[in-house]
Amino acid sequence: MQHYLELVWYKTYADLRVEASRGYLGIFWWALEPLLYMGAFYIVFGILFQRGGEDYIAFLLVGLVAWRWFDNTIKLGASSLIANMGLMQQVYVPKIVFPTVTIVTNTVKFLVVLTILLVFLLFYGIDPGITWLALPGLLAVQLLLIVALTWLVSVIVPFMPDIRVIIDSGLTLLFFISGIFFDIESLPVQLADYLRLNPMATLIESYRKVLVQGVWPDWGMLGVVVVFSVIVVLVSLRLHLRYDRQLAKIGLAG
Amino acid sequence: MKGKPHGERLASLKNIGVSYRRRGGLHRQPPYWALEDVSLEIYRSETLGVIGRNGVGKSTLLRLLAGIINPDKGTIHFDTHCNTSLLSLQVGFIPQLTGRENAVLSGMLLGMRRKDIEARMDDIISFSELGDFIDQPIGAYSTGMRARLGFSVAFQVDPDLLLFDEALGVGDAEFREKSACAMRQKIRSNRTVVLVSHNSQTIRNLCDRAVWIDKGSTRLVGDPDTVLAAYTEMQKSS
Repeated sequence: MQHYLELVWYKTYADLRVEASRGYLGIFWWALEPLLYMGAFYIVFGILFQRGGEDYIAFLLVGLVAWRWFDNTIKLGASSLIANMGLMQQVYVPKIVFPTVTIVTNTVKFLVVLTILLVFLLFYGIDPGITWLALPGLLAVQLLLIVALTWLVSVIVPFMPDIRVIIDSGLTLLFFISGIFFDIESLPVQLADYLRLNPMATLIESYRKVLVQGVWPDWGMLGVVVVFSVIVVLVSLRLHLRYDRQLAKIGLAG
Repeated sequence: MKGKPHGERLASLKNIGVSYRRRGGLHRQPPYWALEDVSLEIYRSETLGVIGRNGVGKSTLLRLLAGIINPDKGTIHFDTHCNTSLLSLQVGFIPQLTGRENAVLSGMLLGMRRKDIEARMDDIISFSELGDFIDQPIGAYSTGMRARLGFSVAFQVDPDLLLFDEALGVGDAEFREKSACAMRQKIRSNRTVVLVSHNSQTIRNLCDRAVWIDKGSTRLVGDPDTVLAAYTEMQKSS
């Protein structure tokens, strides 16, 4: 067990090294790429559509940063086993190692972007209040949700590769209904309650409350996200244990 | 004493079958059985040779013993807790990383602890004859250099049961000689080894017992001379 934790750690280091060695700007892309991405959204929704008003940039960026961590990790996690098929036929490694490496790698990159976001918020004129103390808690809840879903999709996709299309479309749909560029609160109550069934909507609302509005999040709703995530984690662990040695065979089939 | 098992039993396989699911559209195709009926036993500190033509399931047998895949029928039983390792070269190598980093990563994938690999790094460097190149990204290595590093790392693995496919390529002719020699020493030592080879001479020289696999089933198990004679006979007649 300890050996595999060491392995996850070293493989993460290796993958990050590889990314850092790519291109002339290397490690700066971890910051630059998300900045360009967020810039594009700002141009469309902040300038062209004239949405929002006061604090709209802060409002938008908080949502986008949290969303990207979720979206990238799940998409890469979905193909993490397929990408390592060759390796898993040469040596025995618990297959859950691969999506876990994806999660850790993406989380490190996310933390870089989060730091930039927090610095930006300070310069933007937002006073860090006592509610910023809730941030580590929110990050922990989102990490748990990401672990749950990434472990789950990683074990399903090798058996049903086509499902990746559904995952991608599902994420696109979630992207539009998670309240990234609009405030769920401003919708009719009934509709808003439906949209809040989506755990990312709850998380994004909570980040905004804590970071921008200086209010405590809805702990009850976050508790629901935790319970949901724990259930999915348990199911995913069972699936991984059950199919651990079946997965290596998939790449061998003609 | 060739042909007769001595020492305690390490593992036994009974009527093992391994099937692979074939991929194909919406219609389910019948599975392909790479192994159909393999039974054999492995004893401590012996060297067991596996012989058979291409595509009869020898690699599948090694993967099964290495715990990479599970059987779909039959039973595999290890009498004591024993760690097994399939000798694989250049596992998980990444071109952008240095030779040293790749040695650590590859060694960890092969089941070694990080501190053990680092402790043996000097041996790895001297055996691979890489010298200062060890701190260069392996993307800049020649094929031969990469192969030397691959072998030197894999050679450090010390499992209870070593699984080895002789068909592995290990670089240029000179290093091939050196690595084959080191490998022979390792096999002759008091270690338990399962060795897959196409070469009758290798099996005769190195193995205490041999098993002949044909079309996914064990045809014959016994002393190497008897098994090889039967195998050669069959090859002539077909």
